[in-house]
Amino acid sequence: MTSSFEYWHGKPRSDIDWQPYIDTKKCTGCGMCVVTCSEKRNVFGYDLKEKKAVILYPENCMVGCNNCQVGCLWDAITFPDIKSVKDVSKDIQENKVFKEELEKKIGIRR
Amino acid sequence: MNEKKWHGLERNLFIWHPDINYDACNSCGMCIVTCGSNVFSWNIERNKPSIENPGNCVIGCTTCGKLCPENAITFPEDPKVYVRKIITSYKIFPNVKKELNERLLKFPDHALNGGTKQ
Repeated sequence: MTSSFEYWHGKPRSDIDWQPYIDTKKCTGCGMCVVTCSEKRNVFGYDLKEKKAVILYPENCMVGCNNCQVGCLWDAITFPDIKSVKDVSKDIQENKVFKEELEKKIGIRR
Repeated sequence: MNEKKWHGLERNLFIWHPDINYDACNSCGMCIVTCGSNVFSWNIERNKPSIENPGNCVIGCTTCGKLCPENAITFPEDPKVYVRKIITSYKIFPNVKKELNERLLKFPDHALNGGTKQ
């Protein structure tokens, strides 16, 4: 399946280590993570029999976002260390990719 | 747009948005191009981002702050502490449940073991 999130500011998304992991022992099945993730990305599924959240499309996860983890009262969601993502962000900055995208964005607005 | 909700609660009951430390910001543009909620605008004269739509910021989201290569973006408090306070002070779970059912109806491939498929 091809994903619309294949690249992140020019970097292959698959090279970036960023996605949620669920500890099924801690998950109470409240569904907060499922609905916190946007419909556009929709990383989670829900197992109706086990009453647990499931990671369905980890590659859709927005780089740097951990809103599902933030909203989990049971601390059942973890993410990789943000440091490697931050390094990627810095690298993109150094290559002026954000700057180019910014100029395109405000160019359209003006 | 003007009646944003967060799991059934009025978004405007809560103050949650990034703040920019302009001394640290090097105008790279990361924040404005990565935010999916249109929180930022660009001040062309100063060549710096501005917080244009603070009420658009997703409660508990700190993505721009985590990604900012210059660590120039801060939030009012630890997001997990803040969101936990809201969740435990208001009864949001009936609404979350409703949202979950709606989500699974809208995206049946996300309902496993007993959804409309299998």
